[in-house]
Amino acid sequence: MTTQVPPPQRRKFLFTMIGGLGALLAAASAWPVFRFLSPVAARGGGEQVAIPRSEVVSGKAHFFEYRGKPAVALQPDPGKFIALSAVCTHLGCVVAWKEQAGEFQCPCHGGRFSAEGQVLGGPPPKPLEPLAVVLDGDQLKIG
Amino acid sequence: MSRSICCLFILMIAAWWTMPAALLAADTVCIECHGGQEGRLGAPVAQWRTSIHAANGISCNDCHGGDPTDYAMAMSPERGFIGVPEYAAVPDFCGRCHVGVAEEYKAGAHGQAIDRGAAQCVVCHGNHAVQRASLDLINEKDCSRCHSYERAALIRMSLTETDTMINKVGHDLDRLYRLGFSVDEMQDRLFNQRNLFHRTFHGVNVDEVRQKNASVQGELGKINMEVAAIDSTLGERKLWGSVMIALFILTGVVFLLVRKAYEEDEQG
Amino acid sequence: MQPVKWLVEFVDVRLGLKDIYDSELRGYLLPRNVNVWYTLGAVLMALFTLQIITGILLLMFYVPDSEKAFASIQYIMNDVPFGWLFRMLHAIGANVIMIALLMHMLSVLFMASYKGRREFTWLTGFIILNLTMGLCLTGYLLPWSQLSFWATTVATDAAGAIPVVGDYLVEFLRGGPTVGNQTLGRFFALHVVGMPLVLLGLMGAHLFCVKRRGISNPPFGPDYRVAEELPFFEHEKHPNGIPFFPNYFVKDAAVICFFIAFLLAIIFYAPGMFFPESAFQRADPFLTPPHIKPEWYFLWAYQTLKIFPSEIIGLGIQGAFMTFLALLPFIDRGAERRPAKRPLFVTCYVLGILLFVAISIWGHYS
Repeated sequence: MTTQVPPPQRRKFLFTMIGGLGALLAAASAWPVFRFLSPVAARGGGEQVAIPRSEVVSGKAHFFEYRGKPAVALQPDPGKFIALSAVCTHLGCVVAWKEQAGEFQCPCHGGRFSAEGQVLGGPPPKPLEPLAVVLDGDQLKIG
Repeated sequence: MSRSICCLFILMIAAWWTMPAALLAADTVCIECHGGQEGRLGAPVAQWRTSIHAANGISCNDCHGGDPTDYAMAMSPERGFIGVPEYAAVPDFCGRCHVGVAEEYKAGAHGQAIDRGAAQCVVCHGNHAVQRASLDLINEKDCSRCHSYERAALIRMSLTETDTMINKVGHDLDRLYRLGFSVDEMQDRLFNQRNLFHRTFHGVNVDEVRQKNASVQGELGKINMEVAAIDSTLGERKLWGSVMIALFILTGVVFLLVRKAYEEDEQG
Repeated sequence: MQPVKWLVEFVDVRLGLKDIYDSELRGYLLPRNVNVWYTLGAVLMALFTLQIITGILLLMFYVPDSEKAFASIQYIMNDVPFGWLFRMLHAIGANVIMIALLMHMLSVLFMASYKGRREFTWLTGFIILNLTMGLCLTGYLLPWSQLSFWATTVATDAAGAIPVVGDYLVEFLRGGPTVGNQTLGRFFALHVVGMPLVLLGLMGAHLFCVKRRGISNPPFGPDYRVAEELPFFEHEKHPNGIPFFPNYFVKDAAVICFFIAFLLAIIFYAPGMFFPESAFQRADPFLTPPHIKPEWYFLWAYQTLKIFPSEIIGLGIQGAFMTFLALLPFIDRGAERRPAKRPLFVTCYVLGILLFVAISIWGHYS
């Protein structure tokens, strides 16, 4: 080569190339890490959950997992079934069933909900999320 | 301090023993006596040593019973010694281990006609020198000792393809296994199909063999599809891997060119 | 451009980073005839970084429990997206590190760079080599395969050859009479926390030694002069040298790229190279697999033990050899570094490498 580009200009061009290649390599290396760390699909996502009717005793609460999150089923009056998300709408703690009072209380900040999930007191901004329940023979189908 | 750490590592790292190459069937009293005898009484020992049974650690007493640890009582019926079975009793003799095959055999033409001298296990497979079974056992020379080869040839023809398929699938699964894929479930299915296949043709009924053969081939085909799916994933990985290798080499070369530009500066 | 400039100024006014850049990177001058072998240190730092990153990722799914370890590796290899990639990078990366470490040590030996009051640099480097072998050995057990289990059984058993305390030492290393859950627990803790911490410290010490004493002049070319040793500390300067950054750093970067390409090439074109069949079978304490062999970098030790009639002699000879290597700069006191003027050393060097290769090959096929 007789018409040599002087080293500084050549370097500038080469560094631009390295910048491009580096960005490409960084993206190609970050992608597997991102996929590796991506959350797994929640168990039973989008499906109904079946609970034997005998598990949900009148006046007591039965906790179970629904779409990867805690949920609760109860029988406030004989033959009447309710299912709710058990996650408090305030800051995400799991509510506890108080049999004596017949209401849910959140152990974190004292939020109170009725058996139907309505806010009775405390900081929760909205009711517990209701879930659909269908009685099918001796099974409760939720969702 | 570094010395002692060093030493400890060397000690941990250093010693490796030779491992015993294979677990060989131990010499029993049967072999000790019969091994030294001549003719009819000694020959089976040498034959057995060449067999698939010996290779898998199946020894005299596993078939013939008796007590392999006691010279005096070794051949006592009290200790379950059986000795040489009658011609017609051989299928039951072998069938104690080869259950499925024996069942199929007894239901088939050979098994039904055993009292009239039809072939039983050792007629085709041999006895003490038994080898891993292969389709070569079905051949004109051996079959025509008793009957025409025609039907046997048809059976062999329909088996050949399946046999090749089983070997190929087995080979593929082994290859994937060596790459870290969990193929246990597919291997179990292959094992089942291989068993089904092996027992099928002992019934020596051409139509039945063809029919069952087709079902085995169907199942093998399903495993093959799964293998193909994994192979295509592997191909994809290799493609992307190659792209990455090329990118790294290219980046390395560009870095070297930069170094060259600096070198010219440093000289100038 | 303005905000970037402002940010740089903001930080620099507070921390004076430009000063460090000027004195330690741009102003860190290397000898003019510095060669490609001087990049291996940077390559090793990059490879160790890769081990740390992939190691942290693997830790998210690995379960250090003898009942679950093998299944967790199977899960990583088959079900976690790209789990196979990080596992292969980690396992095969360890082998590439061993290759780079040996190259680094052999090039330092050939150029006699340990001379000129660089004993500490050599010693820290030599301990790093041994610690890396320890990391390989402890990491080997974690997948809880047949290979892991029996390699660890045999390796720990060697300590039994030591008189008097041998038997107790074997149990102490294993945390019980045989390799089991307790062994996995201690090897796991050492592999993921203990040894990496010590390694980082040692790498810091090694780099400190290199920079404090000053990089050595390659003993080649007409301008090479045998350095005279002064009775006090002196930093070896290279006033007409080339800046480490960016002039020489780009060469480091190039060789790092080539090493990673090499690692990826093994992963995608010869993935089975370092995995014998027993690496894919779950550990079975009641069944020793046939043909168990140590990793290639331990083959020499394996074979020397088999050559000698008694284990204790074999261990003694290995110990003596490693001690000699560790103390080499204290034994080899001459000032001459040019290979052409050190015929005896170079002969031993070449014969030593040939012996290492020959014994390893012998060990592989025996």
